[in-house]
Amino acid sequence: MVQSSALPAEQYNYDIVRKFTIMAMVWAVIGMMVGVYIASELAWPGLNLDNPALTFGRLRPVHTTLVIFGFGGCALFATSYYIVQRTCQARLAFPWLAEFTFWGWQAGVGLGALSYMAGITQGREYAEFAWPLDIAITVVWVSYLAVYVETLRRRNQPHIYVANWFFLAYILAVALLHIFNNLAVPVSWTESYSLFAGVQDAMVQWWYGHNAVGFFLTAAFLGMMYYFVPKQAGRPIYSYRLSIIHFWALIFLYMWAGGHHLHWTSLPDWVSTLAATFSILLLMPSWGGMINGIMTLSGAWDKLRSDPVMLFLITSLSFYGMSTFEGPLMSLKSVNALSHYTDWTVGHVHSGALGWVALISFGSFYHLIPRLWDTRMYSQNLIYVHFWLATIGIVLYITSMWVAGIGQGLMLRSFDDYGNLAYTFIETVEFMHTPYIWRALGGVFFVTGVLVMVYNFVMTVRSARREQAALDAKLAAKMAKA
Amino acid sequence: MSDKTQNPQPRTEAVQTTGHAWDGDLQEYNNPLPRWWLWCFYGTAVFSILYWFVYPSWPVGDTWIKGFGTVTYTVTDRATGVEEERTDRWNTRYLLVEEMNRAANDPRRREMLERVQAADYEEIVADPRMMEFVRSVGRGLFGDNCAGCHGRGGEGVAGLYPNLTNDDWLWGGRMEQIHETLVLGRNGFMPAFGRVLNPTQLDEVAEYVLTLSGEAPPSEAAARGQEIFQGRIGGCYHCHGMEGTGLPSQGAPNLTNRIWNIVDVPGQDTVQDKKAVVGAFVAQGVENVRVMPGWQDRLSPIDVKLLAVYVHQLGGGAQ
Repeated sequence: MVQSSALPAEQYNYDIVRKFTIMAMVWAVIGMMVGVYIASELAWPGLNLDNPALTFGRLRPVHTTLVIFGFGGCALFATSYYIVQRTCQARLAFPWLAEFTFWGWQAGVGLGALSYMAGITQGREYAEFAWPLDIAITVVWVSYLAVYVETLRRRNQPHIYVANWFFLAYILAVALLHIFNNLAVPVSWTESYSLFAGVQDAMVQWWYGHNAVGFFLTAAFLGMMYYFVPKQAGRPIYSYRLSIIHFWALIFLYMWAGGHHLHWTSLPDWVSTLAATFSILLLMPSWGGMINGIMTLSGAWDKLRSDPVMLFLITSLSFYGMSTFEGPLMSLKSVNALSHYTDWTVGHVHSGALGWVALISFGSFYHLIPRLWDTRMYSQNLIYVHFWLATIGIVLYITSMWVAGIGQGLMLRSFDDYGNLAYTFIETVEFMHTPYIWRALGGVFFVTGVLVMVYNFVMTVRSARREQAALDAKLAAKMAKA
Repeated sequence: MSDKTQNPQPRTEAVQTTGHAWDGDLQEYNNPLPRWWLWCFYGTAVFSILYWFVYPSWPVGDTWIKGFGTVTYTVTDRATGVEEERTDRWNTRYLLVEEMNRAANDPRRREMLERVQAADYEEIVADPRMMEFVRSVGRGLFGDNCAGCHGRGGEGVAGLYPNLTNDDWLWGGRMEQIHETLVLGRNGFMPAFGRVLNPTQLDEVAEYVLTLSGEAPPSEAAARGQEIFQGRIGGCYHCHGMEGTGLPSQGAPNLTNRIWNIVDVPGQDTVQDKKAVVGAFVAQGVENVRVMPGWQDRLSPIDVKLLAVYVHQLGGGAQ
């Protein structure tokens, strides 16, 4: 079974975790730089250089795919493979299959991005992959499920730790979502038509889209949180009971909420209502995860002063709490009438994506990297630098999008003394120019932080190699003496 | 299950862990659910149930619970023109009808629209209140329909779309003419003279055209150009007139006023360069590139009327 492990005696398969960690950072850098570029295109449209491959329409799915599936996906593969091994006290099952998930996932993400730039897309948000790639991804994902479940089955622990519930729920749900949303009739190697039509197609798409947020970007990262926060804090999770209740509530309620992306469309009114209320019901189950994370630190708050990694983890939970409050609010019909189709939505997504998903991943990686390479982080101060760059970036991003989105929403519904619309669409676009510049600047801050992290990461690995070499030399000298 | 604690917590901890430990030190306390959390959760449930009562919600068989919320809207019988107010259960379709009605029936707007409809162009221009209303509606109509090509202020794009803020009008600047332009659209045309004139002749015509507006001094070449312009070989006068002052019925521009719609004469430094761009343009002509669509299917007659006045007052509209 054992394929090619440098250290067959090693208790756990860290090699696959290291690979996914490295690729997560690679995709983060590329994907977020593309993000800054398209944000700048919105402020200065000339940046598309009249090249179709560089236009906003094509680069936007490149950005979302590289960041969500490239960075987020690799971070989840890395941490879930790490956590399942350590909490089950079992080596990862089917190492060759795990290896396949690595190469398959990278190929899927990379080819997807290139195909979008070439203009090949299904035109389904967050599921733009053409059908052959969809099938390839399904195979990779089922392999992931097999590796994960078999490792759980081989556990040397009587109980399954809470983080694994979240990871398993995410793997199962994403498989379901991916398959049903991508049911289509191919007409060529690059084109296909959805099996669903009209509003049903839209409903399936947003059932997928919203649960991609719910299971990929929320449940799975909660799994990450449930391991790294108590580990880094060195304290038990606050409440086992809360974890059970909020887990099942979250899993049950998320599936219903997708319709809130289609308020005020041809979606039947009753579907709209149910989607709005299930979004409201989601608020407290979402906050359950935040409470469990933050309260774990209760009694050890001083760690926030001394441990920058803890700062990342707790701040991410705060952003998580904020965006899971904002989400239900925006899902109400009356609020949505203002917010929908404006940049408020974009800001909301990024408070979740940058504030929650990215920060919890960075915090987890800062915990993980020294353990994977058996050393210490090269610089604690650079972690602080990264933290502040990221936080400033997020705040600039969110606030500028609030201004742009709420501002545009209000402009589009204001009337003059004669009851005529007070503003034309183009005037709202002009109004958004300045916030767009601030948003792009926020992105620059955030990417700079990531580059600082990459530098810290590379230096850590290099010093680990040096330490190892020194150790080997010492050992050799001792052996020679003896 | 909390009794089988493997790693007992320090005695100061009142709450017990669940007794499991993973990966060395990973444990869970068994704290009860925070009260405020639970009550807020119940609160969201109560809110949701109330929301279900107000708006249409759960499907039942082949229908759904309609909710207590209502929407009152006005319908006009097409045959008789009689308006009737109806109240129905809340739904987005009738909500839209009502909002559209409310906007259309805004008393201030309605009154002014009726006045504009009844007035002719001269009366509108003479009435400051009507002009204020025209600017209020026109800004929106122009911004949403015309600004894409002509720019938000009507300034146009040099070489592509005419400037509407100066007093030079290709197709005539009186309101009736602007009205016709809006309704039917326009198709600017000039034959490609490269097929008719040789390079020397093109050069001479170009030089003559430049002298018309004083861009170039009179010369012998210009005089030969004048013969071509005003004679049978070129025949330019058919559209541009013997004096080169243009002909609105053909969309032929005035060549004597130094306003250049397509050729970038102001951007050239020397007479030679100016002559080169004009000559090249005359050789190429204008065929199927200067097209403005007709708006009669997209704008209502009153919108066109308002827009005609708005465009007229943007710059120096002709009397």
